[in-house]
Amino acid sequence: MTLNKLGIWETAVERAVLNNVPKVKKILSDYPYLETLAANVRDAKLKVLDNLDWYIDQTMKAVEHSGGVAHFAKTASEARNIALEIIGDKKKIIFTKTNVAYEVRLREFLQSKGKEVWETDLGEYLIQQSGDPPSHIVFPALHMTKEAIVHMLHEKLDPTITPVSNHEDMVAAVRAFLMQKYLSAEVGVTGANSVAADTGSVALLENEGNIRISTVLPPIHISITGVDKIVPTIKDAMNELLVQSAYGGLFPPSYINITSGPSSTADIELKRVSPATGPREFHLILLDNGRKRANSDPVLRQALLCIKCGRCYFSCPVYRVLGPSWGNPPYGGPMGAMWTAIVDDDTSVANLCAHSAGCREVCPVKIDIPAVLEYIKFLDSKRRRTAGRTR
Amino acid sequence: MLNSLKKEMVPFPLNRKLCSSWAKDLPKGGEHIIYTSYMYQLASVFRTYEKLLPRLASISGLSKIASLGKYLIKPTKEDLERSSLILNNIVNLLKKGGISFGYLYEEEPYSGALLLEMGFIDDFKEYGRRLSDFFETKGIRKLITVDPHTTNALTRLKGMSILKVEVEIYFEHVQGKSLPAEYVLHDSCLYSRHLGKRDTIRKKLVNSGLILKEDPFVTANETALCCGGPLGPVDFELSNKIAALRSKQLSKLGVPVLVACPLCYSNLSEHMSGIKDIAEVMQ
Repeated sequence: MTLNKLGIWETAVERAVLNNVPKVKKILSDYPYLETLAANVRDAKLKVLDNLDWYIDQTMKAVEHSGGVAHFAKTASEARNIALEIIGDKKKIIFTKTNVAYEVRLREFLQSKGKEVWETDLGEYLIQQSGDPPSHIVFPALHMTKEAIVHMLHEKLDPTITPVSNHEDMVAAVRAFLMQKYLSAEVGVTGANSVAADTGSVALLENEGNIRISTVLPPIHISITGVDKIVPTIKDAMNELLVQSAYGGLFPPSYINITSGPSSTADIELKRVSPATGPREFHLILLDNGRKRANSDPVLRQALLCIKCGRCYFSCPVYRVLGPSWGNPPYGGPMGAMWTAIVDDDTSVANLCAHSAGCREVCPVKIDIPAVLEYIKFLDSKRRRTAGRTR
Repeated sequence: MLNSLKKEMVPFPLNRKLCSSWAKDLPKGGEHIIYTSYMYQLASVFRTYEKLLPRLASISGLSKIASLGKYLIKPTKEDLERSSLILNNIVNLLKKGGISFGYLYEEEPYSGALLLEMGFIDDFKEYGRRLSDFFETKGIRKLITVDPHTTNALTRLKGMSILKVEVEIYFEHVQGKSLPAEYVLHDSCLYSRHLGKRDTIRKKLVNSGLILKEDPFVTANETALCCGGPLGPVDFELSNKIAALRSKQLSKLGVPVLVACPLCYSNLSEHMSGIKDIAEVMQ
């Protein structure tokens, strides 16, 4: 981050902290059962990690059973190619916010193949337009102040957006633009907040309504997510949505979506047939990309419990100063220092951890993030020594 | 640093006599020892060293830094006076609590905390074994620590079943008296979140008579930021920016700042004045 942007970052993150921290505290106080649900989610995820291959297999079978198509991708490259093969010659693609798609650089890949791709989550749309990396796992445009967004939208989308425009004006301008994209989209690409192994259902959390449209309107729905998102049952999948929503400070969520295969109906003689009004195809791409290797390491596997609520970012002094400059997008902040080691095999990011441990205090699934980062630092020190010896 | 630790059991060439000159009438050795690990005496020296590291590396190459060390590492008169005041206050608080102990003077080794905090876990364990042997040879059964970095390093060594001696933090066994002034406590991350002493320190301070100002965004367990100290050897500029941010937050509360760690003092002092150690206000 350049120095002239540091002042903007300081303002933006300060505003975010002042908004988010008291909200999460109030949510947890008003709905005390959420902390119990968080503990349940941790247990459910541990159960999957203890038998990951079996749960991947079970999930894929369940997806097929519900009429969907399940794909397993070992690497980012495999995931991109699977998505391209599904999309085929279709041109118009809409994305909802999906960190795993960002992880494998799917949008850029599809654009390079001549596809028209639009992000429909407002934050993702803003960073698509600005060309910036995401600055938070849940709020990707956190680094952009209202003033910066006004300027960008005025330049790139709607000249009627000016410094006197309010937040609602800006949201309306983006909505009007994206509505055209929804109506013409041929493929909707989403992530998954959780995936139920017993039913093959993908659970998605949102507030904007873009996921609901993107998973229903285009004839093909592709969900791309990591194998770490698998939980044993659809009940666990629902719990994870509620917990993520609460610890992200957006509880209750405006919408939750459960997708189990393509659209279907049983309105004629109770015989379930597909498709109905919604998509005719549903594909789930389950990505490994270092997750299985991490699961075999007793310390690193803790990181796979992360539900990506992003609460740890705000307790971290390094993130508060460096913002998106720390980590490899989309994974930043304390959780990103762990996840960068997993998916990019980059152990150097953890060296900037100050082990202040605020992250551990706020983690809903009780990951000992400082301990994981200390271990990654250790791995990095060993690598540097080996490199030094062979230089 | 590794070479110096292996040879001398201190992280860099060091005038040990000067660094132990704060202690005047403590018995040498004994079963119970006050253990400074040179943290108070050398806090600002650590900082100076970190500041110079990138420049030295670019000028001389890393291999030459160690040889430059003996010229660089000398506590200032001011640092020695301040650390002497704090350490003697701690000694007096312990004595008032009826606790007797000795001191190792020039023989005192460094704890190895830097190795742990930089992720050199194998080296830390190896050094810890040597440290444990050293304490055993000296017949030491209990170490009374005075700073969080040393306490954390020793606690970790005990958790790894490497260190046999008991480890206790001085403030757990003392009850000082303070003037009824208002302060904000900048928590040491290690004391509060790694060692679980957040409430203990607060209770001691409040019972001593002073008033602590709290703020949900500045002093809460979930939100209190660190001083940036641990990042000094890795990225001095980042460490300094964190210290500046933290100082700004603390300053907003409008009351003097208390710290319980010499590195916090050193880092924050570059950005704000009037900081006091808890051992300066408790008598």
